Amino acid sequence: MTIKELYDRIGGNYDQAVRVMKSDRLIDKYVRKLTASQVAESLAEAGKTMDPVKLFESAHAMKGVCSNLGLEALANAVNDITEEFRPGNARKLSDDDVRARLDAIARQYRITAEGIRDYEQGK
Amino acid sequence: MIISKQLKRPRLVLIVDDQEINRDVLGMILEDYYEILYACDGKEALKIIEEYRDRLSVVLLDLIMPKMDGFEVLTRVRNDEFLNAIPVIMLTAERSAELRALEMGAADFITKPFDMHEVILARVGRIIELSEGRQLISAAEHDRLTMLYSRNFFFEYVNRIHTYHPDWPMDAIVVDIEQFHSVNALNGREFGDRVLQSIGDGIRVFLTEVEGLASRVEADRFNIFCKHLDDHQKLLDRLQNEVYSHARGANIRLRMGVMPGVDSLEPVVQFDRARAACNMVRGDYKTHLMVYDEDMQRREMLNQRLLNDLRRAVEDKELTVFYQPKYDIQCDPPRLSSAEALIRWNHPELGLVSPGAFIPLFESNGQIGVVDNYVWNEAARQIAEWRKKLGVTVPVSVNLSRVDVFDPTLEDTLCGLIARHELDFKCLKLEVTESAYTDNAEQMIELINRLRALGFEVEMDDFGTGYSSLNMLSYMPIDVLKMDMKFVRNIEHSEKDYRLVQVVLDIARYLKVPVVAEGVETEKQLQMLRDAGCQLVQGYYFSRPVPPEDFEKLIIREKQIKRGV
Repeated sequence: MTIKELYDRIGGNYDQAVRVMKSDRLIDKYVRKLTASQVAESLAEAGKTMDPVKLFESAHAMKGVCSNLGLEALANAVNDITEEFRPGNARKLSDDDVRARLDAIARQYRITAEGIRDYEQGK
Repeated sequence: MIISKQLKRPRLVLIVDDQEINRDVLGMILEDYYEILYACDGKEALKIIEEYRDRLSVVLLDLIMPKMDGFEVLTRVRNDEFLNAIPVIMLTAERSAELRALEMGAADFITKPFDMHEVILARVGRIIELSEGRQLISAAEHDRLTMLYSRNFFFEYVNRIHTYHPDWPMDAIVVDIEQFHSVNALNGREFGDRVLQSIGDGIRVFLTEVEGLASRVEADRFNIFCKHLDDHQKLLDRLQNEVYSHARGANIRLRMGVMPGVDSLEPVVQFDRARAACNMVRGDYKTHLMVYDEDMQRREMLNQRLLNDLRRAVEDKELTVFYQPKYDIQCDPPRLSSAEALIRWNHPELGLVSPGAFIPLFESNGQIGVVDNYVWNEAARQIAEWRKKLGVTVPVSVNLSRVDVFDPTLEDTLCGLIARHELDFKCLKLEVTESAYTDNAEQMIELINRLRALGFEVEMDDFGTGYSSLNMLSYMPIDVLKMDMKFVRNIEHSEKDYRLVQVVLDIARYLKVPVVAEGVETEKQLQMLRDAGCQLVQGYYFSRPVPPEDFEKLIIREKQIKRGV
């Protein structure tokens, strides 16, 4: 699987990734680092306690990383949580809605992580 | 740009982001152009900023981070006087945060994702350029030592105040340190710098109470432009106390010259006058404050006029040389021995100008050399003329000033005169004041030795007014000692003064040189000097300085005495 094929599979914007990192070599390097970066785990942990500060910080961090990597599907999924818990914003979602969105993020993350694992294994 | 690329310091950029990928992407964009440091949270960032505060060109700061967010870091940097010059660019994807960060002092934004590398590079470059430009301006604007304005900025701001508020009564005040070079020489440069800083501190505190601004315009000179003060002495005392408190035990005296704000005078003229007033304090150990007044203005204008007119005076022969005879009093009757050449200026508009008005002036600005040259020429010509006309050679003493020591053509000039008029070297005697000897002792002694080796005789003038020690006298090359008139003035009424004269004569005997007593006015003084063994006298008793035609009569009279007529 090429890096471009990986992006197609996981709902990434390969062109955006190229704009940020300029080369497949660097995209490859940082995509591989995503699964080790703990951003998804931090968000999941924050979801368990529904701590608004931690939810915002971890969603914001995940969104930033995904945006730079051009992982649009994941970045868009995280965006709602970021805005929901951004300090100063009024809450729009119920806790159940938040949990539902966190589940959706987790699913999208799993797809992404599996895709990366397959890519790493040369499948 | 004059500075070469190699000499430019490499710019250091700190990237602060809690996400490694963000740090790495930014680092990748910037690494070809800058040295990069990284921090993964606000606390680490602050530590690095403090450590590299003198080298950091810019900080790229993520807004949302654990432990300490970007706003907190930005606030701390902006509130720290040592860090607040470092520009901070915020990294954010949220447009809503931009205004707040700008209000808090962020220099610019870089938005996430970092997909426009050229824009990022351009922004970082522009912010560094702006910041360095600001730092350069700030460095040029202020004197590093005192943090007062530098000269150019000071006058720029002063002129603006004058332009916009010509009716404001603003005083121009100049402060400096008496003999500052000696303060530095005696105590070292660091000590001198501390003294200057203490004056700067005092002025800055003063300016928190009185509206105005100040500058260290050069070395130890400070200019203050402030709303009119009624009591300038109070300010001088205050600054003097500031100096005392920082330099206990050292005798450091400040001087102050003031030009009060009147008649909407241009600031530069105002400060010229304040400086002139300050300079008039020089050497006065009682008064340390001088306010420029009409008298000073008149004196200054006169000085300027004399300085301007000197060349013309030489060309038009407004300068004339008078001669005062010196008599040998060990003969009976006393015999005309020689003369001293003394300059007079018959100004076409000002009339007869006293030498006391122009000689110190020309000495202070170095033009005395022009006057000296004129006198040497005239005296040499006159000796030759008298010799031709009257068959008598009368040796004439002329002055050698401090500046003449530095004239590389001096020996050639003097030898040229001797040759041109076919004189004996001993006919043109050279008078050097005692203070000129002691001011540049080494150089002066070298020069005198060379002149004496050529055949000139050298007289030490005004002996007793300077500070030569007995030890110095023993190795100073002198042919004649001229005792200052102050010694003679009171000998009739003061035994102490007469004893002093005897001491001077003893010293001269020890040095094996004759003494000329100056300022002899009475028969009694003459007799006492003769009794004490003084060989030569000069003074009104015999004759005041007279024009050459009158001196001629003295020569003729002398010839008649000699012939027993």
